[in-house]
This record gives sequence, structure tokens and C-alpha cells, in this order.
Amino acid sequence: MDLSLVLNTFTLLTLTTLSTPIIFPLLSDSLKNTPSTITNTVKASFLISLIPMTIHIHSGSESLITLWEWKFIMTFKIPISLKLDFYSLTFLPIALFVSWSILQFATWYMASDPHATKFFTYLLLFLIAMLTLIVANNLFVLFIGWEGVGVMSFLLISWWHGRAEANTAALQAILYNRVGDVGLILCLAWLAYTTNTWEIQQLNSPHQTPTLPLLGLILAATGKSAQFGLHPWLPAAMEGPTPVSALLHSSTMVVAGIFLLIRTHPLLSSNQTAMTTCLCLGALSTLFAATCALTQNDIKKIIAFSTSSQLGLMMVTIGLNLPQLAFLHISTHAFFKAMLFLCSGSIIHNLNGEQDIRKMGGLQKMLPTTTSCLTIGNLALMGTPFLAGFYSKDQIIECLNTSYLNSWALILTLLATSFTAVYTIRMTVLVQTGFTRIPPLTPMNENNPAITSPITRLALGSIMAGLLITSYITPTKTPPMTMPLSIKITALVITILGIIIALELSKLTQTLILTKQTPLYNFSTSLGYFNLLTHRLTTKTLLTGGQNIASHLVDLSWYKLLGPEGLANLQLTTTKTITTLHSGLIKAYLSSFALSLLIILMSAH
Amino acid sequence: FTASLLLGTTLTISSNHWIMAWAGLEINTLAILPMISKSHHPRAIEAATKYFLTQATASALLLFSSMINAWQTGQWDITQLTNPTSCLILTSAIAMKLGLVPFHFWFPEVLQGTPLTTGLLLSTLMKFPPITLLYMTSPSLNPTVLTSMAILSTALGGWMGLNQTQIRKILAFSSISHLGWMTIIISYNPKLTLLNFYLYALMTTATFLTLHTTKASKLSTLMTTWTKAPALNAALLLTLLSLAGLPPLTGFLPKWLIIQELTKQDMA
Repeated sequence: MDLSLVLNTFTLLTLTTLSTPIIFPLLSDSLKNTPSTITNTVKASFLISLIPMTIHIHSGSESLITLWEWKFIMTFKIPISLKLDFYSLTFLPIALFVSWSILQFATWYMASDPHATKFFTYLLLFLIAMLTLIVANNLFVLFIGWEGVGVMSFLLISWWHGRAEANTAALQAILYNRVGDVGLILCLAWLAYTTNTWEIQQLNSPHQTPTLPLLGLILAATGKSAQFGLHPWLPAAMEGPTPVSALLHSSTMVVAGIFLLIRTHPLLSSNQTAMTTCLCLGALSTLFAATCALTQNDIKKIIAFSTSSQLGLMMVTIGLNLPQLAFLHISTHAFFKAMLFLCSGSIIHNLNGEQDIRKMGGLQKMLPTTTSCLTIGNLALMGTPFLAGFYSKDQIIECLNTSYLNSWALILTLLATSFTAVYTIRMTVLVQTGFTRIPPLTPMNENNPAITSPITRLALGSIMAGLLITSYITPTKTPPMTMPLSIKITALVITILGIIIALELSKLTQTLILTKQTPLYNFSTSLGYFNLLTHRLTTKTLLTGGQNIASHLVDLSWYKLLGPEGLANLQLTTTKTITTLHSGLIKAYLSSFALSLLIILMSAH
Repeated sequence: FTASLLLGTTLTISSNHWIMAWAGLEINTLAILPMISKSHHPRAIEAATKYFLTQATASALLLFSSMINAWQTGQWDITQLTNPTSCLILTSAIAMKLGLVPFHFWFPEVLQGTPLTTGLLLSTLMKFPPITLLYMTSPSLNPTVLTSMAILSTALGGWMGLNQTQIRKILAFSSISHLGWMTIIISYNPKLTLLNFYLYALMTTATFLTLHTTKASKLSTLMTTWTKAPALNAALLLTLLSLAGLPPLTGFLPKWLIIQELTKQDMA
């Protein structure tokens, strides 16, 4: 039968299934949502979306669906069109799978919340926005999805809006994303101006794109994917509930920036400056985030920083001109990062809200399923051979090593890889092993299938996904096959080195020596002073500058000093001076008369 | 006394010979002195003294200038004043009589010391002969001196008037600035000087008479006149604005014409 018809139909069916929980309550009062209905909807969507993916893998068919055309002006049409190619068809099931697991977990996690249904609706809206972004064919629809995920991120981070830190974190998220949006709009404007289209297929035509719109794109990715410079919002976003962190800030939203760069890759590949920028920015981000993660004590923050670090790695891959590899890393990373977050959520709830790893320990015996999945996730994160992370991460490091590019970026990335191992092992050791440091009475219970089945499903995905994806796709660029042995095993060696260091360091905790506050330690703990420096300084400067302009400059000086009052003051001074001259003494007067007469006579001759 | 005043003025105006002019001016000075010091108030006496001294000096200088001219050119005709020195001395003498800067210091105090009607006479009638003399000798006067005195008068009159509370002093300074306006145009178009003088005399008369009716001599007194004679107060407002030279009122006319004339002469 006609495969493309089936492809199109089932993709549209996926998207429609997702939007049913939104539409049905509006149609009739008796069709109310519950958390479980939404979860089941997403599960159904996932199963349906497997079919287009299979068709694509089987026959390599891609398609383009155009739904409606917005005739903006006659010469510039914006079609609402969906592009179903390798990237979107592969990511669709992955995103839905991860979301299904997270939603199932959230039915347990948010069970005590009075507005749980609203929470699930928000998550669903977010998912729809994210999928719009993924399947978009032109940058306009992508922008709609982009903004949608930004707004939903704001709403979800400030879910517990009674907390002041949650509100500030949500504000931070929106502000930093907005700064990035400026870059995206710049690029949109340039594209509309020069190439008169926003379609992604048309992006192949320009041979040499000027650097400015590409920098705009990179700025957008920096904002959305928390690269260095616009990064503080990601650790702060951990104020939201764990399902939010799992969905948004590990697997889906933060990869939107990288996904944009993957989509617009033909534009970027010709411009050397843009590529170098990506490379160095990514390297810097990954090292910075890894450094900050070394001394964090909040389990969610550690995982957030590891997300940030992996995002930097993805940016490095883009900088190496390997978009497909970046996409591979996105897909594999989604699995184990979501699982890490869910495990941490289970731990937090079981410890009655405790998030500090210094107060956890020995949980291996008490939460066996969770901790084993945590271990699997951590190993995948570190790039242990033949787990999911290995296929993407190791390949990235190999390509990095064998390319003729920036050696500084190379060193930074390798250092960050070893740091990844260090903090991961630290987290694992402190959480799971050793003596327990938890309070005696804790309601610890992980027998609920709502916890265990998502986590085990994702664990399965973490193990298999790398293998599955790499087996079924054909790479567009041949990966480097021949390299010296030392380079081949660089990633592995560095990771093992990191593990050894971490294990040594963890032995220090048993010798009861207080850690000294050295400058390096301070740097790592206070997130590189970035938050401290920029947050106060920039806002204070801008606000006082505004106040200066409005009140001091306009009101006080222009209206008072220089304007009317100034003139009046001028006259006053003159008047007072002259009044003192008129003393009333006739002798003075007559003498002044004589003097003036003399002057007049003198001047005439 | 009024009769002698009129006699003196007429004499000066209609004279052709310098001695006649001088005589008329002397008669004017002498006649107004008792009018100033009528109230026997120490301030009035002081005003009278000051007035006498300045005017006497001015008249002497006038005579001196005419004598120099007669010595040099051998004739006493007013319109034939050709010697430059005597022109200069004449200019300063008339400036002293009128109250132009830098010879103006006597004017505010004298005006302050006189009763209001005499003050009126002092400002208007007493200015008439000197203006006439200026008008008659205008072609031979030094424009630079005149212009500088005029600009200084206008500016100084304005600035000094800002810091006053006594109405008579304010009016003195207003007359100084008006005289400045009059003097500046005299070398280019003497008719405008006369126009300015006539209108100024009209407005000042109106002001002085209003103030005399309401017996207001200080600004604080002026504030409460509206209860006594509201219509008159409103009229005073209009008159004062006209003195200031605001456009729809008459006072604007001479100013506008003078500026136009100066622009034509490349001076404004």
C-alpha cells in the first residue's frame, strides 16, 4: 500500500491524539481529565508514533505536510507545514516514550497535589508545543513551538508559586530565554529579507551566509540550551517539581536550541566563524557546568549541571559539523537523564523532601530498584561502553580528537568528561553507599508500580537505545574509523581516571577532616561567581540609569537647571549684583558720571 | 509752578539758538524743584537735591558743548552742531538729563522721593525737551556711543527693575529701558524715536494716574487695590502689559518698528 499515505496519517493521528485531552473538556462538561487519562493518552500517542518511525526506517521515506497557508503579503507566504524526516520521526517516539514514563511517575509524585489535573494539562501543553517545534518545517512554526515551550516552562517552574525562589527562578528562565529569542528573531528577519522564505528546505541555497544571522541563531541556542553566558536559569529551574525537571530540563526543552542548530545546519556549515563560536562556546559551557557540579550538595542541582554540561557537548558536536551525531546524543541523553531525574524524585519523596546528598546514604538497601536504575543512568551518562551514552559520547570524543580543530576546545571537553565521571561517582557514592545519614523515621516505600515501571522502562531504554538507533540509521558522514589506539580509548581512560579520583576523594569523608575553603572550592560552589556578578550589577545599572535619565536628566537638569529655572536664576544673579551698585550716594553717582564722560571722550579720540 | 514748567518746555522746544535751549532747560529744573520737595519729607528733600545736582551738571555740560562748537565753528545754531567733541559732550549731557546708562543713578531715587503726580511730570514732561534736542541734532551724533548707551540702558533697566518692591522705582527703571529703545533708533530713523516717546508718555501717564488714584506706592499696596476699584485694576493690568510691550497692545508697535528699522540697517 501507499506508504507515504500511512506515514502522514499516523503522524497526524499522533498529534491529534495528543490534543484530545485539551479539546474534549471544552466540548462537554462530563468529559473531565484526570491524571491517568492524560497518561494513557500519551501512551497511546507513543504507540501510534512508532508506526511512522518504523515506516521511515524501513523505506527511508520522508514527507512534507502542508496544512494551511497564511498569505501574509502576496510575495511572502507562510505555510503551516510539517516536515517528517529522519530527525522529527525519530525524536517523536523518543519524546513520547520519555513523556509517558514521566507522566506515569507524576501520577504518584503529584498525588497529594490539589491541582494535579492542571499540572498534567500543563505538561501536555508543553509536550504539544515541543512536538510542534520538532515537526516544524519553517522557522515560523518552530518559533511558535519555541515560545510555547518557554511559556510553559515558566508556568511549570513556578508551580509552587508560594515559594519566592520558585518565582525568581521562573522569571530567570523567561528572561534568559527572551534574550536568546532576540537572536532568533534577528535570524528570521534576515532570512525573510534576503531569501524571502522561512522554509527549512530552502536553507540550502545561500552559499556564504553573513555571520550576523548565524550569531543570532547561536544566541538563541545559548538562551534556550543554557550555554555559558545565558546559563543561570537552568540550575535555578530545579525549583519546579521533579517531573517538570525531568521533562523540560533534561530531555526536551533544553534540546530545542540544539535542535534549531541542527535544522539550520546548512546555513552554519559554510561559515567558519560560526562553527568556531559553537565549538568554543560549547567547550566552555561543558567545562564550566562540570566544574560547578563538583561541589553541589543538592541532588537535583548536580543533575541539572550535568544536563548543562551535556548540552555543551552537543554544542561542541555542532561546532564539529556533525549534526547527526548531535541528534544521536540528544536522543540517548533523553533516556538516561529523564531516568536520573525520576530516580532522584523518588528518593526525594521517599526521604520526605530531603534533597541534600549529605543527608542521604546507604539507600541501596532501602530503595533497591531506584538505586540500581540510578547506577545504570550514571554509568550511561559517563559513557560506559555499550550503554546508551557510549554510542554518542564516545563517537563525539573520537571525532573531536581526530579533527584539525581548536585544541583548546579539545582539552576543555576532555577535562569536562573526566569531571563528569567525578561528580557522577560522588553522587552515587554519597547517595547509595556507606552509612546512612537520613533521619530515623522516614516513610520509605517504592512498591508502587507508578514509580518502578517508568524507571525500569527508561533503564531499558538507556541500555538499548544507543544500539538500536545507531543500527538502524545510515550516517550522512562517515565516522573516522582509523586512529591511533591512544586516541581511541581517550574517553575511556579519562573516565576511569575520574572514577579513581572520585573514589579517593570520597575516602576523605571517612577521615573526619573539615574541607578548607580554598578559592577553587569557592569558585565551584558559588557557580563561578557568574550569578553574583551579573544579576545584581546589570539590573541595578539599568534601573538606576533609567531613573537617572527620567528624573535627573529630564526633570531636574533640563527643566530646572538649563531651562526656565536656569534662566530665572541667571536674571536673579544679575539683578542682585546690580542692585548693590545703586548705593544712593550722590558723590558716587557724580563721580561715575565724570568717569563715564572721560571714557567717552577718550574713546572718541 | 506748572506754568513755569510749561514755559520752560516751550522755550526749549522752539529754540534755534543754544542759549535759548539752555535757558529753557534751566527754567524747567528750577520750576520742578519746589514741586519735588513739596512735602518737606527728608526723602523728598534728598530727591530734590540729587535732582538739582545732576540736572545742573547736565546743563553746564550742555552749555560747555555749545560753547566749544561756537568757538570752533562760530555759530550757535542747534542743528549745525559739527564739532565732534561737542557732539560727544552734548550726548552725555542729554543722557544725564534723560537718565540713560551710565548716567542713570539719580533717576530711581529721585522718582521715589517725589509724590506721584510730580513723578509723572518728571518722567514725561521733563524728558520732552532733551528728546527734542536729540531729535534736532540727531544727524551729527556719534552712533557708537548712542548705541552702546542704549543697549546698556535697556538691559540694565530690565535687570534692576526685577529686584524692586517700590512701584516708583520700578517705573523709573521702566522709563530707563524705554529711553534705551528710543535712543537706539535715533541715528537711523528719528521719527521712530518720537513715536516711541509719545506712546511711552501715554502709557506712563495712564499708569501714574491709576497709581495716584489708588494711592499705591508699594507692590504690597498694589495687591489689595482690587477691592477698592476693580475695573481700574484691570485697566492697570492692561496698561502695564502694554508698557512691557506685549504684541496685541500698543506698546508693541514702537518695539516692532524699531527692530525692523535696525534689521534694515544690519544691526539687530
